[in-house]
Amino acid sequence: MKKKTRTFLVIAVAVLLLALAAHRLLRKQPAGFEPELLNREDTAGGGIAEFIKVKLFFLSETSRYLQPVYREIEVPEIREDLYRKFVSLLLAGDGGHIAPVPGGVQLRSLHSLGGGELLLLDFSESLAGSFPGGTTAELEFIYFMVDNICYNFREIKKVKFLIGGNESKSLAGHIDLERPFFPDFSWLEDK
Amino acid sequence: MKNSIKAGIFCAALLVAPRLLISLGIDFRSFDHEGYTRVVFQSARSFAYRVQSHPDRLEVRLNGRADLPSPALVVPNSQLLDRVTCEQRGEESVITVHFKGAAEVRKNFILEKPFRVVFDLVRSEKTTAPPPQAPAAAEKSQPQEPPPAPRPRSIETICIDPGHGGEDFGAIGRSKLKEKDVTLKIGLKLKKLIESKIGLRVIMTRDQDSEVSLNTRASIANNQLAQMFVSIHVNSSFRKSAYGSETYFVSLQATDPESLELAQKENQNAENPGEAIQNDELKMILWNMAQTEHIRESSKLAEYIQNELNVLLGTRDRGVKQAPFRVLMRAAMPAVLIEAAFISNASEEKKLQREDFLDKVSLAIYNGISKFIYHFNSTLK
Repeated sequence: MKKKTRTFLVIAVAVLLLALAAHRLLRKQPAGFEPELLNREDTAGGGIAEFIKVKLFFLSETSRYLQPVYREIEVPEIREDLYRKFVSLLLAGDGGHIAPVPGGVQLRSLHSLGGGELLLLDFSESLAGSFPGGTTAELEFIYFMVDNICYNFREIKKVKFLIGGNESKSLAGHIDLERPFFPDFSWLEDK
Repeated sequence: MKNSIKAGIFCAALLVAPRLLISLGIDFRSFDHEGYTRVVFQSARSFAYRVQSHPDRLEVRLNGRADLPSPALVVPNSQLLDRVTCEQRGEESVITVHFKGAAEVRKNFILEKPFRVVFDLVRSEKTTAPPPQAPAAAEKSQPQEPPPAPRPRSIETICIDPGHGGEDFGAIGRSKLKEKDVTLKIGLKLKKLIESKIGLRVIMTRDQDSEVSLNTRASIANNQLAQMFVSIHVNSSFRKSAYGSETYFVSLQATDPESLELAQKENQNAENPGEAIQNDELKMILWNMAQTEHIRESSKLAEYIQNELNVLLGTRDRGVKQAPFRVLMRAAMPAVLIEAAFISNASEEKKLQREDFLDKVSLAIYNGISKFIYHFNSTLK
């Protein structure tokens, strides 16, 4: 085989392998969006603070899909702190919409595991104690959390819930809560 | 170098020789139950096997040498079995269960401590009846009872699971109506309908206001060898305007892909039980996903029931859906979960307080079950 032909074949195979790897990588990426980075003057310290614009989704009485709302979060140095702020926004709710979370529920702790692909959320015991029950309500809570997180932070592929620091079999007797949940963006109005 | 190769061969021979030379002692026993005969092969250690089912006999093939207490055992007083023989054919042993007439394997599974291979055998006459007629369009608003279907041989036991109970109230409506009370009422009505119309055996995970764990509910169905699992619930949403009925079967999409892959591999191996899974952890994963093998039938059952709910309840059709329900995952049979109406919706809560509405719900579920049984039987032809 001529040297030129051999070189061409090697390059062709390399390009093909790269294309396959890129396709595989892109296919695994969940549909989501890249939070917009905003720079603002920090009035307190006089410096520049970084903010990101995130897209939150809440329930509404008029639609079975979660509706989008935009918010800004100041970016802390530690990534987990950003996730914590984000979940706090979800728990705080939005005046015009419904946050499918019982009142008074708090995030006890949050851990990023598995190279950042798994986010572990540990909620206060009041999540189970004051949950209203019903399959739909359980699914509303689960996908409200999982879809919002995975949509805004592409690096997170799945979310696992703890209640009061422990694994819980179920939130209200229906959905298996011991497994991590992958996003289901069919819940979102603006996918 | 040569010495180490020799040593390797010697060690390998030492490991393999006992399997080739030592015979595997297997005990046999059988029991006649109502509608089926159970055959059990028990041994001190696990073994791989292949099954060949013929109309007049069942052959269980094992690699190596196996021995029954006697090369030919006559089975006295059995309704289905004539004798059991064991013979050596080349490298394998063949245990043959000879039938009285034609029979077939309904179930085959493994139990451990001690290791047992279990077969449930049934007579193989297959009779099916025409499906129950759907109610005429003009009569949709009235409860319609389909003509009684003859008792199908294949499905003999149905497990009804009224959701929640005891200290677990389930969802609670504005007027304090509790989900646990509604599901029990519907469940008992459904039991009565099934027993009176098609005479099948019905087992209940609870028939009173008692608390039963999710795992126990599936265990009751599995241990009683139920061939259908119907879990009854009423729904609740954070959206007060949400209403309608929906029927679920289990979803595996929200589970770990690795577990799903293992379960799929196991399902592929179902045709070759010889590749029995040895790893305990893997067995646990598969047990937790016992439903994987029955998903297609569960989907069909959900479809039939949801169609009947749409016809009889005249409420919003929220369709057939999938979700990772804990109670369904461990059920080793077609299994569905029905959400009859929303107790969180004021209008539907009022309906759920009315006996005539609960009658319609139970009748709709019964009609769906009857149609599924017809479908199930026709696939066995």
